Parts: sequence; structure tokens; C-alpha cells
Amino acid sequence: MASIGLRGITKTFGDTQVLNAIDLHIADGEFLTLVGPSGCGKSTTLRIIAGLEAQTEGDVEIDGAVVNHVRPSRRDLAMVFQSYALYPHLSVRQNLATPLLLRDLGFWERFPLFGALVPGRRKKIETLGAAVRDTAGTLEIEHLLERKPGQLSGGQRQRVALGRAMVRNPAAFLMDEPLSNLDAGLRVHMRAELSELHRNLGTTFVYVTHDQAEALTMSDRMAVMLDGDILQLGAPDDVYQNPQDLRVAEFVGSPKINVLPGECDSAGRLSCLGVALERRLAKSADGAISLGWRPEHFTLHPGETSECFAGRLVYKENLGADVYLHAALADGAHRLIVRVTPARAHDAAVGDALWLDPDAGRTMAFGPDGRRLALAEDDEAERVV
Amino acid sequence: MVRSRAHLWFVAPAIILMIVLLIAPIFVAAALSFTDYNLGNPGFNWVGWKNYESLTKFSSYKKMFTASLTYVVVVVPVSVALGLGAAMLISSLRFGGEMYKAIFFLPVMATLLAMAIVWEFALHPVVGVVNDVLRTGCDIGWLHALLTGSWLGFDPAGSWYGSSCTEDFPVWFGDKKYALGTIAFIGIWQAFGFNMVLYLAGLTAVPRELYSAAEMDGASSAWERFRLVTWPMLGPTHVFVVTITSIRSFQVFDTVEALTRGGPAKSTYVMVYAIFEKGVKQNLLGIGSAITVVFLAFVLVLTITQVYFVNRRVHYS
Ligand SMILES: Nc1ncnc2c1ncn2[C@@H]1O[C@H](COP(=O)(O)OP(=O)(O)O)[C@@H](O)[C@H]1O
Ligand SMILES: [Mg+2]
Repeated sequence: MASIGLRGITKTFGDTQVLNAIDLHIADGEFLTLVGPSGCGKSTTLRIIAGLEAQTEGDVEIDGAVVNHVRPSRRDLAMVFQSYALYPHLSVRQNLATPLLLRDLGFWERFPLFGALVPGRRKKIETLGAAVRDTAGTLEIEHLLERKPGQLSGGQRQRVALGRAMVRNPAAFLMDEPLSNLDAGLRVHMRAELSELHRNLGTTFVYVTHDQAEALTMSDRMAVMLDGDILQLGAPDDVYQNPQDLRVAEFVGSPKINVLPGECDSAGRLSCLGVALERRLAKSADGAISLGWRPEHFTLHPGETSECFAGRLVYKENLGADVYLHAALADGAHRLIVRVTPARAHDAAVGDALWLDPDAGRTMAFGPDGRRLALAEDDEAERVV
Repeated sequence: MVRSRAHLWFVAPAIILMIVLLIAPIFVAAALSFTDYNLGNPGFNWVGWKNYESLTKFSSYKKMFTASLTYVVVVVPVSVALGLGAAMLISSLRFGGEMYKAIFFLPVMATLLAMAIVWEFALHPVVGVVNDVLRTGCDIGWLHALLTGSWLGFDPAGSWYGSSCTEDFPVWFGDKKYALGTIAFIGIWQAFGFNMVLYLAGLTAVPRELYSAAEMDGASSAWERFRLVTWPMLGPTHVFVVTITSIRSFQVFDTVEALTRGGPAKSTYVMVYAIFEKGVKQNLLGIGSAITVVFLAFVLVLTITQVYFVNRRVHYS
């Protein structure tokens, strides 16, 4: 059990800076996800926490103690790698036993042949075997113990890699895209299983993924990373409902948030493609404003009104429980994706005209720099003006 | 389905060439080894196992096997170990690796015959640079003390270096105590660059994440990571390197021909040199073929054991 702190972590490879002064505090027992597109520096951050990579500047703290100069093996963290990194020449049992052997047996006890002569070794080997069996039992891989990693399926290797991390009860787990090599079905299943594992172990998890769905489903908090910065850190709900940056809004959520160019007048009143939104910015802004709505923040309107976007249905994406309608707007330059119920979508055919009514209260406005702009609360009073 | 026989026409040339060029000579050699055929004689007699019996009987052939096996047993482990060590050192360098690679690979590229001349000169008992340097050391007090162990109180005359200082240094190629060792030294010098390149290739194939995993699992020393990751992951490379080096060591010929001609007292009378001497120089094709067959058997056994028995245990997937 451990809390982990990053203070002002900077990392440069040669001339390129890949982490720009990252600050992050991960509470004891928390499931924290680092999520972001490929190449944004997630793995580098994780490897710096592990000690496998040295930061250029800043401090790594575990349980409040600075561990900058502590070797990875002494930090008491366990890591699950994307490629699993199992030892291919060792059986599953030996793979699971390796961390225990390396940690619990002294140099002479591990020495070939002579090792057996060291007193007390047998006892240690027995407790170690029991720990391996326990872990294998938890993960339901007992029947695989004698196999080599080469004889396992992707999902089984994944479990063995988890087992190797779990077997020595580390202070925290670091996981680098552990599910990305699995097929879609297994990936969804493993999400649930990992969450459950986290609940049962109560250990700190630091989980890296490029898949925003994994971040949303599993984490206590998620940190959205982009180009070496943490753009937003918060509970998944909060990040989804209240993105503080246009890039976060676009990264989190699938299908992607709808973004249209907006305008505001001197009083901050918003309009978009000629549609007045009856909402006002708390503070009027200059420059190009972007307005965003999630696909679920539209309703289909039966006929034309001035408060709706007019468009034409170009594609119906039927997911069974939900249907996403892709509409090309009348201006010819923009598209919207709108979530409707199957019943609603039933008689819409490709080519039909659609009137899409945005839920004005859910409008997210972003300034020219991508930062979120607050809406004024007092809309009722303002509407009359 | 009607099957045409066209495929036979396509494979026939390759099969015929293979038989004529690769397989037939071995059978011819095997057949000749049961005769007393001498090149130039009009006929020959079948002599049964007589040639093979003489291989076991005469002391010069016993020396032949001793020389060949000793050479292999010395050159293979030493050049493999040096090659692995050099490869690991070079792959851990941040820069300069290319230069070391090129330098260590030079002996492989230079023909052994040309380099043998250089070695002959360097190891010449009177004007050779090696003995020159050794002799100079005798006159430098502290070096002499260090090398003879007299600084620890040992009798200088009791050590190899001390006695050599008084009685002169060895005639490297002319003394049967040193000749095979010197030839083996040149063999190691030549083979290790080749092994190094093979190991370098093998090392690049070891996944980096395994080292990270080993580090996280508590393998904090370089030795533990070597034992847990590097050594086992190089398994297929070991098999290949050991097989190739063994075969090449069994085939050693050019240094022997250039430097010692099998002598002194047949101490460097290796198999291929014996084949050359009997079969080519003395035209005794019968006995030459018999040695050839034994030689091929050695190489075959070596290859088969390594490919079939060892290979099976080093490929993990
Ligand atoms: N050892 C390295 N040398 C140079 N550049 C690296 C190294 N490791 C990572 N990078 C660069 O750092 C950036 C972040 O990498 P990484 O942390 O692996 O991203 P990801 O978020 O996909 O895990 C990438 O642009 C990558 O090219
Ligand atoms: Mg990564």
C-alpha cells in the first residue's frame, strides 16, 4: 500500500522534451488511469515512477519519501507490461516464483547446487510455493502452471503477467496498456475483472491506456495526457461531463463530441451557424469560439425551427441499444453525430432532412486557446434582454 | 485427377546437381576408403576395414585425433566466451560500438593464410616482437618480480617466466609443448570476432522489456539479469555459434600448413592436414578417404546433436 507523488517531473530524450513538469498525486489504494493518445508520454511517466527511466528534473515520492535514487527493485512496485514480458524459457510456475526467489532468497541460497545446502532454504521454498499456488488460484491459472508462456493464449499470458505482479504483494501496481493485445471481447471482460481485483486487493493501481473507454470504466480518477502535459485530472464522470479543454473533450467520449464554430456578441450571447442558443458566456470572449455537444445532447425536432440545426441524414450507425445518426449540416462544412433510441431512428432513412435541437443547457464553450469558457448561470434573466 | 509428370522435369536438374556435386563425392570417398587406391596406379584392391584399422593402430593417427580434439576443445569455449563478452560490452556502449565491431571483425575478413605470415613473424623465436617484449620484461625489475611472483616470496626460477628469462623464451612453433597451443591461440584470435558478430545479432533480438521486467522482479545486479534474461534468450544463438565454431575448428588447416606442417613431432597434425598430407601430397587416396569419412562423421554427429537435441530446448515458442 502506498501513495505515489510526482513533483515537477520533466523528461527530455536528446533535444525533445516528452514530459513538461508533470505534477500528480496518487492516493493510497486509488485506481488512477493515465490516458492519452499514443506518444504523449504515458509509458515514460510510468517508467519514471517505476525507476526504469530517470527523470531529467523533479521528484518521485512513494509514501512521502523521495525515491529518485532508489533502484526499481527496491521501490516495491510491480509492473505489467504491454507485451507481458514473461520469461519464455521458464514455466508459468517459475515465472510466478521468480520475483519471490529474487527477493526472498539470499545470493547463496539462489546459487546453483550449493544453494540447497544453506539452512532454512527449504522452508522458504515451501512458503514461496504456497504463495505461487495462492496467486494462481486467485487468477484461475492453476492448470497452466507447468506450461511455458509460448503455449498460452494471449488472455492466459495476460493472467500470468498479472500473477507475476501480484505474487509478492507489491505496494502498488503499474500497468502499461495491459489489455491492448487482447481481442475486443476479452478486453471488456478483463476490465471488469481488473476492477474487481483492485477492489479486493485494495492496492494502488496506476494504469496506462490509450483507450478512453478503459479509463472511463475502471478508474477512480483519470489523468488525460497530451504532448507531455496532464490536461485534466478528475473522476471519469467529471472529465466526461465537464472537460476543461477542447482536446480533452475531443479525446474522451465515443463517438466524439460534436464541435461547431460559435460566435458571441459583446454581451457574451452565444450563437452557432445562425442559431441563437439563448445562453450567455460569463465573460465575453474575443476570437474564434468552439461549441461542443455530446451526441446524447440533441433531440430530433419534427419540423424546421430557428433553434435547430438543419441537416441531412448521411449514415445510420446502429449499435442495437442506441443508434447514432450522422447528419451533414446545411452549410455543407460540418457534421453532427446524434444519439437516438432505435424507436426514434426507425423511420429515418439516409437522405432524409433532420432538424437537430441542441440541449442549450449542456453547451460547452471553448475559447480560441481551447480552454473551457464558463456559461453565465443567470440565463432566465438574460433571455428577456 | 490426371497428374502430369511435368514437376519431375522441374526438380530433376536440382536433384541431379545435388547428387553429382554434394552426395556422390561423399559416397566415392566412402568407397575409396575401403581400397588401397593410389592416384596414378592402374588398379586397386578392396582391403575392407584395413584403412580404418590403421587409423586406430598407428600412433601418428592417435596424435591426429588428439591434436584435432584438443584444438576444438580449446578454441570453441574460449572463442565463444570471448565473443559473447565482447558482444555484451559493445552493445552496452553508447558510442564507438561500430569502431570496435570493425576492429574485432578484421581478423575474420583477412585471410588466415595472410595473417599466419604476420604471426609467424611476430612469434619468431629470435627476431619476433613477442619474445622481444618478453625478454625486455626480464630486465625491468618490478615487472620481473610481478610476473615471476617473487614479490610474494616465490622463487623466481620456479615460475615459467623466471625460468624462461634465464633459459630464453619458447620457440613457439618449433616446440611440441607450445605449437598446438600457439595454433589454437591464432584460431581463437580469428574466430572470436565472428562469434562476436553473431552474438551482437542475437543480443539485438532480446526484448528490452524483459530486462525491465527482470529489474522490477528484483534482479538488481547485472549478473542476475544476465542469468535470468540474456543467457537463456541467447539460446538459439549459442547453439548456432557453438556448432559453427566447432565445425570451423575441426576444419582448421591453413595455419597448420603455413606455420607448422603438422609438426613438431605431429603435435599439430590435425585431421584436415592429415587428409591433405595423405590424400594429396602422398597420393594415398585410400587412407586419405578413410580419414575424410571419420572427419565427416565427427562433423555430422556434432551438427545432429546440436540441431536436434539442443535446438529443441532453446526455442521457447
Ligand atoms: N528511449 C527513448 N528515446 C527517445 N525517445 C523516446 C524514448 N522513449 C520514448 N521516447 C519518445 O517519447 C515520447 C513518449 O513516449 P511514450 O511515453 O512511450 O508514449 P506513450 O504515451 O505512447 O506510452 C514519444 O514521442 C517517443 O518517441
Ligand atoms: Mg506506451
